[in-house]
Amino acid sequence: MALKGIDIFKLTPKTNCKDCGQPTCMAFAMKVAQGTVQIEKCPHMSAEALDALGEATAPPMKSFRIGARDEEYALGGETVLFRHDKTFVSKPLFAISTAPDAADTTIAHACKIDYERIGERMCVELIYLEYSGDKAAFAEAAKKVSAAGRTLVLATTDADAAKEALAATSDGKPLLNGANPSNHETFAALALEYGVALGVTADNLDALYDTVREVEKAGVKDIVLDVGAISVKDAFANAVQIRRAALKSGDHSFGYPSIVNVSALAPGDARMQTALASVFILKYGSIIVMDGMSYAQALPLYGLRQNIFTDPQKPMTVEVGIYPINGADENSLCALTVDFALTYFIVSGEIERAGVPVNLLIPDAGGYSVLTAWAAGKLSAGSIAKFIKEEDIESKIKNRNLLIPGKVAVLKGELEESLPGWKIVVAPNEAVSLVKFLKEFKAA
Amino acid sequence: MTFKREPQVFGASITEVEFGTEGASVVFGGANTLPLYNFDAQAKHRALVGIEISDKGPDRSLPELSAFYSGAESLSDIASRACTAPGADFVSLVLESADPNGDNATSEDAAALAKEVAVALAAGGKPVVIQGTGNVDKDQELIPKVAEALQGMNVLLLSAKEENYKGIAVAAVTAYGQKIGAESSVDINLAKQLNVLIAQMGIKPGSYVMNLGAAAAGYGFEYISSTIERVKLAALSQNDDALQMPSITSVAEDAWAVKEAVVSEDDFPEWGPREERGIEMEISTAAAALAAGTDAVILRHPASVKTIADMVAALA
Amino acid sequence: MDKFIIIGERIHCISPVIREALANRDPEPLLARGKEQLDSGATYLDLNIGPAERDGEDIMKWGVKLLQENLDNVPLALDTANRKAIEAGISVYDRTKGKPIVNSADAGDRLDYIDLAAANDAIAIALCSKQGVPRDNDERMQYCQEMLEHAMELGMEPSDLWFDPLTLVIKGMQEKQVEYLQFIRQLSDMGLNSTAGLSNASNGMPKEVRPIVDSVLTAMAIECGLTSAILNPNDKRLMGTIKTAEIIMNRSLYADSYLDI
Repeated sequence: MALKGIDIFKLTPKTNCKDCGQPTCMAFAMKVAQGTVQIEKCPHMSAEALDALGEATAPPMKSFRIGARDEEYALGGETVLFRHDKTFVSKPLFAISTAPDAADTTIAHACKIDYERIGERMCVELIYLEYSGDKAAFAEAAKKVSAAGRTLVLATTDADAAKEALAATSDGKPLLNGANPSNHETFAALALEYGVALGVTADNLDALYDTVREVEKAGVKDIVLDVGAISVKDAFANAVQIRRAALKSGDHSFGYPSIVNVSALAPGDARMQTALASVFILKYGSIIVMDGMSYAQALPLYGLRQNIFTDPQKPMTVEVGIYPINGADENSLCALTVDFALTYFIVSGEIERAGVPVNLLIPDAGGYSVLTAWAAGKLSAGSIAKFIKEEDIESKIKNRNLLIPGKVAVLKGELEESLPGWKIVVAPNEAVSLVKFLKEFKAA
Repeated sequence: MTFKREPQVFGASITEVEFGTEGASVVFGGANTLPLYNFDAQAKHRALVGIEISDKGPDRSLPELSAFYSGAESLSDIASRACTAPGADFVSLVLESADPNGDNATSEDAAALAKEVAVALAAGGKPVVIQGTGNVDKDQELIPKVAEALQGMNVLLLSAKEENYKGIAVAAVTAYGQKIGAESSVDINLAKQLNVLIAQMGIKPGSYVMNLGAAAAGYGFEYISSTIERVKLAALSQNDDALQMPSITSVAEDAWAVKEAVVSEDDFPEWGPREERGIEMEISTAAAALAAGTDAVILRHPASVKTIADMVAALA
Repeated sequence: MDKFIIIGERIHCISPVIREALANRDPEPLLARGKEQLDSGATYLDLNIGPAERDGEDIMKWGVKLLQENLDNVPLALDTANRKAIEAGISVYDRTKGKPIVNSADAGDRLDYIDLAAANDAIAIALCSKQGVPRDNDERMQYCQEMLEHAMELGMEPSDLWFDPLTLVIKGMQEKQVEYLQFIRQLSDMGLNSTAGLSNASNGMPKEVRPIVDSVLTAMAIECGLTSAILNPNDKRLMGTIKTAEIIMNRSLYADSYLDI
């Protein structure tokens, strides 16, 4: 967080001795804040003042990784509370909770969700393994999770159980979630011994704050804050207040990622878990623990996550190529639109609703919407002709009807010249009209 | 050492808007904190959850939805049944039949249907929202007719757009005392401009709300959440009174139109039953819209309504 | 970034109408000017009762009550060389809409106006000068620091001091204007609040050029980080300039009709 001159001024001796070369302590503080003068130029700053400055200039929220190899994930590092200010950086990770004796079933269930959406792999990244009193079973289940290529969260407040499981799985850099006000000393020692991140929880924010400070003092650097499961209201309040304290008030002891156990907040209620997970995707959940993850839940949740964690400056794009819809084959007509993901989804959705087989052609249009792409020269007769040639579409598809967006009807003439043998058809201006248009369309 | 809490209470607040008739009315808005931030200061009103019905009836191919409306054949029966959905604060009628790209029913016929529904809803104790066709020209004719037919019922009419707000505002608010929604589809500057223009017509705050646009989760929802967040922050932190109207987000139409809620289980067996996909899509989208700060959501499925209403209650 | 705060300057004893109204305790002229300024976008109203050596306390109490009771507890800047009158004004002041502003302290004889603000949980306008015009920005900064330290010793929040860089007349001190703007930027870099009597710059200029000079200087000062100003909110050009600057600084959301609201 950028430090204002006034904050630095408060730490100076305020004697105007000029030893730093500046006329006043205030002028000095201002130059330090601007970065034009080093704080060391003042020989009279106390050690406490220098410490305070060091802390104040550190990033507001710690960033680190859990998991190993292909299953390594970033947590934290956020700098803003709202994505319109700056891109959110570390997308929330999803976990499914399980008891040790159900580990096999849970792993199989979790692994069913694994698909790609606009270039991003969508899967249940973590398994949240809950200790149930049997140390050997806990360690055994932990090993199974590691072997299955899912990153582990070890949920236990029992130090011996934690130690046994960590001894077997610490290579995979699991998260140890279980430090609390009464066990934090042994848990901090365990986290340090095995080099893993430590989850901290407490009944209220004051106790959590104190416990985090103790764990920090013990030397633990990678901390995850558990917002608790006292109630939905309490968990949400904690998640927001923790993140706000870190990013707005610059309170470093709350400058860590969070873990939200939605499965404990709404036990057995999958729909409520979807609702809460959606809230915590926007409002500050770093790890979201669910009972399970069906496709019905995953499709909106991963889509929402992908939306919220996109760079507002960079549009989402779909890959260039041919997308056959409704079982389209080489005899089905072609329709062309841009590679801007939103446009693609809307157009493909309408074509699906029409039920007419269509080969949707997506050229590189710079990730812009139709009109913007056209205005920027990214969607021209030349670029479309080049795309048709480079993708070798004429040998892949026999149908020679090409629908172009109504908004670039102006390209029709030029396209007919550059693409001999094709019938260029101007489709409606708006995607909503596509259903009617396609149903009534008679190919040439 | 205790954690230093810094409650974020603003010197500005969202205007309260009430619709419905005595004994069957709801109020939204009124907060001086970000929505759902009851830990900063307890909000006066909860976010509202509405259930949407179409004048063409429910989608009876969905088993759970069909069971909910079973036996309800006439539109007024359907409306009465919607009133019984647990968690529904209001019922929103879409006048789908009047859509010129569809059945193109006359405005008079559509207004008569609206009247029938409104009477049933008044009996069921629920306030009424009426959604037009979305077609600018048709709505310009339709909404004033509906406003007239429902005189004295204090309904909320969606939506007035840049192209037709004048006629709608005059007829609905000035002539018949209804409430209106100003629709701006994810254009934050237009959202403010519409409010300014409506205010310049002499329409008082408390008579109109904002409909900032909608999208389903995964389909450019970031534009929706950022628009809602920016509007709320400007209203509260900059005390911008041209943005202090409560906002209402119609989730149903977008959520049930995306591929995830449309394709059949036969085509995508691993995705499971279509109805559950639609419900979860509605729930996720509505929860995210509320987290971003909208003050009311409209959902189609009673199961989505219940979950979202329970969530709002749990956060209140 | 907070919104730019406008302190309406038109209730000033230099105006014959106001002078007479103050003397006769005639409410109408004060209320009329107060309302006009609020309608045009003022947040605070400056209530300048002049030196008011004899009956300053009475006048100030009367003025404060009059304006606040009739204009929805409008927050006020109490402006007079009579220290006791300011205290009297604060004693009847309603804080619902904002703290009172003590107008004004400096680093010289009026340093104790800061004590007055501190004792009454008020905001103080702190003029960065001692006697006359400061030589350069080092001198301005020196005064700024003296006042800031003094206020902090008294337990005031730095944000309750609104530093006035001392606006200089262009006709005569044209070469000092860039430095003046630089000082505003320095205050902003420090994270301090600031205010200025911007129309001083155009003093002595023909009537027809004053509005553009005031407008442009205001726009430049806002870009440098000025957080408030004492000015005439009924100057349409000036208010349009401020509204536009607020749009460009992204502190107000654009709408096509932004100039009308």
